[in-house]
Amino acid sequence: MMKKELGLFLLLVVISAITGAINPAFLSLVNLLNMANLIGLFGVFALGEGLVIITGGIDLSLGSMFALLGVVFVDLLTTYQIAWPLALLLVLLGGLTLGGIQGFLITRLKMQPFIVTLCGLLIYRGAARYYTSDSTRGFGYGDEAGTLGNIASGHIAGIPNTFILLIILALILGVLLHRSVYGRWLYAVGKNEEAARFSGISTGVVIATAYIISGGLAGVSTVLFVFYTNSVSPSSFGNFYELYAIAAAVLGGCSLRGGEGSILGIVLGTALLQVLQNLVNILGIPNSLNFAVMGTVILLGVLADQQLQARRRRQVSLAGLVRTVPKSILTQGQQNAPPRGAAALPARTGDHA
Amino acid sequence: MVKTPQAGEPVLELTGVGKQFGAIRALHAVDMQVSSGEVVGLMGDNGAGKSTLVKIIAGNFAPSSGEIRFDSKAVHFHRPVDARAVGIEVVYQDLALADNLTAAANVFLGRELKRKFGPIALLDHKAMAARALELFGELRSETRPHDLVKQMSGGQRQAVAIARTRLSNAKLVMMDEPTAAISVRQVEQVLSLILRLKEQGVAVMLISHRMPDVFAVCDRVIVMRRGEKRADKPIGDTSPEEVTALITGAKEAA
Repeated sequence: MMKKELGLFLLLVVISAITGAINPAFLSLVNLLNMANLIGLFGVFALGEGLVIITGGIDLSLGSMFALLGVVFVDLLTTYQIAWPLALLLVLLGGLTLGGIQGFLITRLKMQPFIVTLCGLLIYRGAARYYTSDSTRGFGYGDEAGTLGNIASGHIAGIPNTFILLIILALILGVLLHRSVYGRWLYAVGKNEEAARFSGISTGVVIATAYIISGGLAGVSTVLFVFYTNSVSPSSFGNFYELYAIAAAVLGGCSLRGGEGSILGIVLGTALLQVLQNLVNILGIPNSLNFAVMGTVILLGVLADQQLQARRRRQVSLAGLVRTVPKSILTQGQQNAPPRGAAALPARTGDHA
Repeated sequence: MVKTPQAGEPVLELTGVGKQFGAIRALHAVDMQVSSGEVVGLMGDNGAGKSTLVKIIAGNFAPSSGEIRFDSKAVHFHRPVDARAVGIEVVYQDLALADNLTAAANVFLGRELKRKFGPIALLDHKAMAARALELFGELRSETRPHDLVKQMSGGQRQAVAIARTRLSNAKLVMMDEPTAAISVRQVEQVLSLILRLKEQGVAVMLISHRMPDVFAVCDRVIVMRRGEKRADKPIGDTSPEEVTALITGAKEAA
């Protein structure tokens, strides 16, 4: 299980080393800290997306959730002058609620995750644009949330707080996913929901919880992004961000079929994506190629991973065959091997005797 | 530990069990008994009522008429969980396993052992692996607790599924076509697993289409046809030919 993560880490190191060799500015402290900040920003909600993907589902609504929660958050602080701890709490609750609604639709009303969250994407974006009449919301010159802003976009000992927060959340979710009963159930439900149900697991609750966690983390990300950009334009804020999260999770070893993936993988996947974006800038590759580079790397990464897995499976099954075939057959040579199964059958089935 | 009943004591008793689905009579007045340490083969063609019978015993749905007694107490199951609570486990044909998890994880799925750190409960991997190894040992299977199920052979998967029933100390294990989808070599492993269960005083119901398997491990065979029990004989008093005739209807009853 750790092989994937190790491979990803090595890829990250190799790409960084090559980029750094071509342009040393890549490895400058300023650039590294800037990347750390972006990894933190994009990693937090990728963790939630990863959990959802492990259940075999998908959450396409994250970017629109940022827009809706973002305009509400700014409005609460500026127009309504609500104290920031309360505004923060409301935004987190908002994220949890949206996640809960999606989880309910998916598990109770048996709707497909893709459809539910696609509609979420459309609805939240539309709601955000209607709510603001399509106008950008920002903080102006007041000091509405100075303290929270300093926390969200600040740094400790030079390290961006967003990155520190990502590490803390990754550790918590890592324990949840890899060490707790819930995590084990999440994997079981993702791979074989029926088996999990037969084992007495409330699969609906397990799946819905993943969407709720994802929504909650979207709330956290909203606050981080609002203080990163300092304003929210409802038609573009967070556009495509859910795809970054999906890309990071897939690059990090999550299978869209469910049941596979790890927190470390998702964090490394996010880091790799940000490094790729950064190297496009640093190496002077036209910025318009940004997405193309990302797409190519993901495609190659997933392809390589699949080929390696298929090879490993072949080796395993080959080893299993050697173990079970008795010596007599092996010594008789290969000719006798193919009819073995078929030849043995009639002797054992006397049904029609 | 749950006390296993004395060998020979009836564990499951059905009296006049019937099931109607609207106008369709799927099952009619079935009487049967299964004792601890006994392996009973349940045979019949598709649509003969085998699955309905198994589903009633497993608590998937209630019978329309008749009585079920388990451990000499009348029982009424509303959900599969109720049946499992008294000690009835079903090993399904498609083996309800999560193949991305290890053998030990599957054995303990839904019943994980935990270690408490204050309010946080974490999985106790070590204890689960040790107990799973013990269970595989009892079944004389070489399955390793840390192996992923997706890397296992059909026989080993059966061992994992059967180890699950041992964990809960089930008194009755119903196996639905356990030998249907696996290679000939592994069939023997599975049959020996069934004999291990028998040794440990578990009552086993084997639902199978494979005559040789039934005659290899069963003490008794029950034949269903058109929703009725047509035969219930010790395996020594019958032959594959007779059972085939009973299944197809060439012979009405025995």
